[in-house]
Amino acid sequence: MQSLSIVGPGAAEVRDAVAARLDGRVATVGRTESVDDAPNDADGRFELSENGDWTGSGDDRSFANLLADLAAEYDYAVISGFSKLRLPTVVIGDAEVPGDVLRRVADASDLDPGDLAAELAELDPYVTLEALVAEAKRSPLAERSGAIATFTGRVRAKDAEDDSRTTHLKFEKYEGVAEQRMADIAAELEEREGVFEVLFHHRTGVVVDGEDIVFVVVLAGHRREAFRTVEDGIDRLKDEVPLFKKETTEDEEFWVHDRA
Amino acid sequence: MQWKLFADLAEAAGERTVAVDVDDDASVGDALEALLAAKPALRDRALNEDGELRGDVNLLKNGENVDADATVAAGDELALFPPVSGG
Repeated sequence: MQSLSIVGPGAAEVRDAVAARLDGRVATVGRTESVDDAPNDADGRFELSENGDWTGSGDDRSFANLLADLAAEYDYAVISGFSKLRLPTVVIGDAEVPGDVLRRVADASDLDPGDLAAELAELDPYVTLEALVAEAKRSPLAERSGAIATFTGRVRAKDAEDDSRTTHLKFEKYEGVAEQRMADIAAELEEREGVFEVLFHHRTGVVVDGEDIVFVVVLAGHRREAFRTVEDGIDRLKDEVPLFKKETTEDEEFWVHDRA
Repeated sequence: MQWKLFADLAEAAGERTVAVDVDDDASVGDALEALLAAKPALRDRALNEDGELRGDVNLLKNGENVDADATVAAGDELALFPPVSGG
């Protein structure tokens, strides 16, 4: 799912104008100060019409788990009014945001929603393990698959009790070549008997302590080839794909290849 | 042709991309010399004391591993990077 955050005065109008110019399934998310008819006898309330239109409200959702749920079902998420998201962000005004700033303008009228919609397709996608598993299950060979094996790599804060705590990693990627090598590895692994689909996703930029970095998903006929292939997949990604990791701990900062 | 530099090699050079010009019959090694002439601070990181590419530096042309004696042409993309460390 491609995602874009928009903050500042007029963000909601820009959000809707960008969303209107996107093809595919688009989710928009806005900030509401209060939900007038918030349920007080249930944690969530959903209303569904016969043709599938729905509305929902509740009080038990974090932004992260909302975005994770959207990622499995939508091609785009366009979000307005949340200034703390580490997503590609358009800033109207002078707010400081943690995500990469795609544009900073003084006024919403300085933005061209058509340009933003076109650029959105080129940004790093927001991908969850669930979204990759859902994609694997859409394989034309899914009916012959009895196993999905997955690997999740995440930021390890400490490798031993007395380690200086890792606060974040920053990944750099050789754009184009990294994707090509992952595609080549996936294609080679998919030639194995009983292996139908191999999917990789690796984040770039800053990934903080406890967050996920990389996913490998294998759709296979049986568990043995699924396990073997997911292990070979992550091993080959780590050996062959041009990605570079700088680690920041509470004490220091270093390139991981210098310590290997 | 264009050089792309990554990780500590980009830091040593102070740039991520460097354009260089070499003769028509030049090799990748000649293009590397042109790069190091433009970015002298990169030399110690990229070469060993014999003036050869250090063992921990990868050299790519258009996404493929190559040796310094490979040919190079205008429009090629060359890259230098350290051992990969994804995951």
